[in-house]
Amino acid sequence: MRDAPYPTRLKPYGTALLELARAREEILCLSGDLTRQCEIDLFQAEIPDRFIHGGMAEANMMSMAGALARCGHIPFVHTFGVFATRRPYDQIANAIAYPALPVRIIGFMPGVSTPGGPSHQAIDDVALMRALPNMTVLDVADAVEVTQVAAAIVDVPGPVYVRLKRGEIPVIFDDDHQLSLTMSDVLTHGSDVALFASGMMLATALAASRVLEDNDVSVSVVNVPVIKPLDTATVQKVVYDARIVITAENHSIIGGLGSAVAETIAEAGLGRPLRRVGLKDTFAEGSLTSSYLFDEFGLSTQQLIDTAWSALKKEGPAPSGPPAVADIGRYSPV
Amino acid sequence: MTGHARVSDPGTTWLVADAARLATSIRLRAVQMVAPQGFGYLGQALSSAEQVAAIFAAARPGVDRLVCSPGHYIIGPFAAAVELGLLDEAVLAAYGKNGSPIEAIGTERSPIVDYTCGSLGQGLSAAVGFALSDRMRGSDARTYAMVSDGEMEEGQVWEAALFAGHHRLSQLTVILDANNSQVDGPVDTITTLEPIAEKWAAFRWHVTDVDGHDIDAVRAAIAAAATEELPSVVVCRTSTVHGLDCLPRDSDGHFLTLTPELAASAVEELTARLEATHA
Repeated sequence: MRDAPYPTRLKPYGTALLELARAREEILCLSGDLTRQCEIDLFQAEIPDRFIHGGMAEANMMSMAGALARCGHIPFVHTFGVFATRRPYDQIANAIAYPALPVRIIGFMPGVSTPGGPSHQAIDDVALMRALPNMTVLDVADAVEVTQVAAAIVDVPGPVYVRLKRGEIPVIFDDDHQLSLTMSDVLTHGSDVALFASGMMLATALAASRVLEDNDVSVSVVNVPVIKPLDTATVQKVVYDARIVITAENHSIIGGLGSAVAETIAEAGLGRPLRRVGLKDTFAEGSLTSSYLFDEFGLSTQQLIDTAWSALKKEGPAPSGPPAVADIGRYSPV
Repeated sequence: MTGHARVSDPGTTWLVADAARLATSIRLRAVQMVAPQGFGYLGQALSSAEQVAAIFAAARPGVDRLVCSPGHYIIGPFAAAVELGLLDEAVLAAYGKNGSPIEAIGTERSPIVDYTCGSLGQGLSAAVGFALSDRMRGSDARTYAMVSDGEMEEGQVWEAALFAGHHRLSQLTVILDANNSQVDGPVDTITTLEPIAEKWAAFRWHVTDVDGHDIDAVRAAIAAAATEELPSVVVCRTSTVHGLDCLPRDSDGHFLTLTPELAASAVEELTARLEATHA
């Protein structure tokens, strides 16, 4: 694992999908009028015969993708996460999830990573997709995992929803890291805090854990790329060893990672205090930059530190996190 | 019963000797399916009986596909399938019962059709997906899609119509049941769909507009669609109480109620008609 600030890679998903599709004739690439934005301009240029413009018609695109999957294709459907989930929810439920077809829905711009305002922010996509029977749900942000995600999900028997950050993606893991669909990664081991993070919040969780460790708070940081089906065995084991639990997600605190972890803790009867860091049941207005939104809406490193400090009932003010500075082409968590 | 058998499954066979007679048989089988509960989607079978008969007469067994977009219409394909030997007659008794795979509104377990969905307005998109895949894979299979006029109120139908028109999906034929019936009343009292034919034409579809209870007209329109270079729609003007004279004039065709006495009269009327045409 690397240290922040992280180097970045450009368009790791689009590059990897194209490479996979060269070897897998069944793969089709569908775009909802966001081709370059979803990194599939690369696919369109090289394999135009298997590229389909769905246009601005997400309902039709999802129902059509289900029928294409029934014919033996493996459709990868691309648009922004918010349009991939809210708008065609009934179509995904009936045409994809219910018949458990191998459609791969790739939703870009998770949570408040977009300056596009509430209409463009996928803050409930994980909750919506998690509620659908048969659906697998992933939230990955590290470039090593993003590079592996298309190959990792291509042969999952049922449907998969993946939320992906656009553009420059931080490289957090070493290149020999393997994305697992069944196991969460316990990255650090501690006995005070169990800190579960997904997607873009992983870098933030690692930054917060470093500050906490420097202040004699030991933290287990767990990377949870697969939110459904959740690796409940790892969640239970790490929670059992900790005094408090924190979840960190670039998503509403309702229905996503925090809820999934809460359900696991409650059903296992573990009874640890839980704090869910994420969007606190609010839409996020006022954006020019995502870093502003991450700070303003409680998704910052400092927020995680403060949350741990208060949940542990520590005396005195919480320690300060590092300033979020990164050179161009480098990535630092907010 | 043949489980999940679909009309497009290789090896499936049937023969329609007399399409008009098949339409009457569909009405009779539908009455027999609805009678045990006393209510159900009989009106949909009555308005679409000629369309279903014409589709089975035109479709190539084991090759062409059948989409029943409004899941409430699944009774028609079930009735035809029983009549044509594709489904066991026991299906009639299982229709709409607890635990039965033969649900009153089509599900993923519904046999015979390639796609159906109780959430309306979605089947045309599935039909478009089938037609697109068949063209991509070099298959000449044709997709027949049953669509209802009420579904035209759903925006997704027009998303799919735009896509099919743009891509000139000539292997797609929509049979549109214009029965002017939806839950809250006649469609034209809820919203104005007319001019239906012009709307589809404007979306770059080949359109014919026929009396949906004239079996020869429906069959001719379906046959003509096969040579078009655009996707085709056959607009069938119909009634939800057609072909069953014993029904009260003021029946709610969207969800018909059959008393045991009325069911007996219906069976008698339709059986007599079949015997008359057989003679």
